[in-house]
Amino acid sequence: MHVEFLGVPRQRAGVSDLEIHANTLGHLLGTLAAQIPSLGDLISVDRLNSSFIANLNGDRFVSDPETPLGEHDRVLILSADAGG
Amino acid sequence: MNVPTAARGWQVTDLPHFGYHGCYLRIDVSSGFAERVPLPETVLRQFIGGSGLGVRLLLDEGAAQMDPLSPEAPLVFAFSPLVGSPLTTSAKFAVVSKSPLTGRINDSLASSGFAIAGKACGCDAIVIVGRAPELSALIIDDGDVRLEPAAEYRGATCRETEAGLKARLGAGFRVASIGPAGERAVRYATISHDGRHAGRGGSGAVLGAKNIKAIAVRGTQRADWANPRELTALSKALSKRSLGPATAKYRELGTATNLVTFNRFGALPTRNFQSGTFNEAANLSPEQLSATRSKTRESCVTCTIGCEHIYTLGGKGGVRVEYESLFALGSLCGVGDADAVLRASQRCDELGLDTISTGGTIAFAMECVERGWLSEPWLKFGDGDALLRAIELIGSRHVPGNALGNLLAEGSRRAADEIGHNSIAIAPQVKGLEIPGYEPRALQTMALGFAVGARGADHNRSGAYEVDFSDKVDRRHVTLDAVRHAIDTEDKAALMDSLIICKFLRGVLVDFHAEAAEMLRNVTGWDVSADELRETARRIVSAKRQFNLLAGWTPAEDTLPERFLNTPLPNDPEASLSRERLDALVAEYHRQRGWEPVHQ
Repeated sequence: MHVEFLGVPRQRAGVSDLEIHANTLGHLLGTLAAQIPSLGDLISVDRLNSSFIANLNGDRFVSDPETPLGEHDRVLILSADAGG
Repeated sequence: MNVPTAARGWQVTDLPHFGYHGCYLRIDVSSGFAERVPLPETVLRQFIGGSGLGVRLLLDEGAAQMDPLSPEAPLVFAFSPLVGSPLTTSAKFAVVSKSPLTGRINDSLASSGFAIAGKACGCDAIVIVGRAPELSALIIDDGDVRLEPAAEYRGATCRETEAGLKARLGAGFRVASIGPAGERAVRYATISHDGRHAGRGGSGAVLGAKNIKAIAVRGTQRADWANPRELTALSKALSKRSLGPATAKYRELGTATNLVTFNRFGALPTRNFQSGTFNEAANLSPEQLSATRSKTRESCVTCTIGCEHIYTLGGKGGVRVEYESLFALGSLCGVGDADAVLRASQRCDELGLDTISTGGTIAFAMECVERGWLSEPWLKFGDGDALLRAIELIGSRHVPGNALGNLLAEGSRRAADEIGHNSIAIAPQVKGLEIPGYEPRALQTMALGFAVGARGADHNRSGAYEVDFSDKVDRRHVTLDAVRHAIDTEDKAALMDSLIICKFLRGVLVDFHAEAAEMLRNVTGWDVSADELRETARRIVSAKRQFNLLAGWTPAEDTLPERFLNTPLPNDPEASLSRERLDALVAEYHRQRGWEPVHQ
């Protein structure tokens, strides 16, 4: 699947997006934390820190680590606070 | 003059011991008469300070029925119990009046040393009425109040005025001022302090109508704290937490980073809300802005977050970059030239113009030109020079021959009335206040927040976008379940604006009401609880509604312009909001508030 980083997560990741294989949101986050250590302060095991959120395909926001992911899904990771 | 104390109907035996001075300063600039009016503890506990106290004082003054630009109309600067404490972000003040833009309640907040110096004058609020006989500066120096001529600052920018007055008056003064826009009664003129603005709703025009160019404050009177040791410990802990991941966005990138994020979600208002995506958004991202410009960070006094990102602009100094300014003067006007957008933002700051209403009104005019309703062919979407020219015309209204500037200085709602062609359907406003950078069709809890907002479309009085950016709702298909969440964010904002603490602490405060109660307990000594603060928030929201009812509010005002209710977003057909659905959300909002049923 495709992962997009926005804002602070993009800064931490050092890339805007990447391809990765995972079956669930928890699996994805765990894999990201292992592959990109600079994302460590965003991720606690298989969940995002409460200051960050994940979105599936630009539609719904998801937090349950068991959320299933498909090969063609796009997961966006961004700051939880959208305030301006 | 030395200021006498007057009872004015309050019971002076019921004065607070801690956190407050227990009075407000009421100044009639027509006569130069000033008095200290006692504020009983019961009133302060019910409305706290900031926006809440300001609304209460306006109701007491009968301001709802007044012309906001008339001499008798009051303008309130309200401080709060937390001002002067070591709590991070607490150096804030609210400017509250009837809005000349909307005719409804307006509470604008700004930050920094003015709040501390103003409260140190020994008052919890300053109420200004009357009209000075000439352009003047109002000087409040501890126990002394006087007017000084300010003709030399006529036409000066906010920064020039502030620097000039500080040099003239000497050390320790903090100055809030208006720019040329406030002098010329632009209906969305700001009041500026230290480069920050009480921005929305036209409080600068209200001050200008009083012939007051600036207010300078200096004081030595500190309000005691009930539990200084506990407050200091609490403040240290909060400061430490404020440097964590919840505020990383504000510290590292600033709010400007919203632009690319909102664009990705199709929620970035573009070309007067004709689209939710802007193909030049990346030009205005913080990463791109900093690639070719140097940048510094600043903080308000007492703030540990430091959200202000100041970019250099060629040889023209620096400019504070905020998401709302970038969206309003950038994507909303179709302008992707970063230099033009930054210069436009800087020019608004100099003139004392609200960037959101400025951009919204110009974008509206650009679409009217596009549709052939307005004969100003140079005023085109995407043209940075046209944007800058329009801003100059707005800032110089009342100059002979400046018909367009006069029109745009009235805001998009009044301009639509002049232009005709049912252009009100595309005027980007609610209750006359231009809509901030959140596309309502893509963020529908926010759409409700905009529709019912007491001061009009506003992202600071309703944080409903937080709900849209969560798993609580489907942001493009919200149901009645979203209403309770929208109410929660509105109540929370009312409380934060009355305490006052910065909304960028939201993510830091895990149990907001309990933590806010702890702050207030340690400052005031009150046995205040989280539940009491929930009730206080509802009281403040209701007081704003009461003001609006007295000012002539009708149910038809709690809605959005037709554009949003009959046209899906072109880039996202799912982002569609029917009038029936919005009406149902609004009716449910009124029901849950316990307000009388309204008929659309």
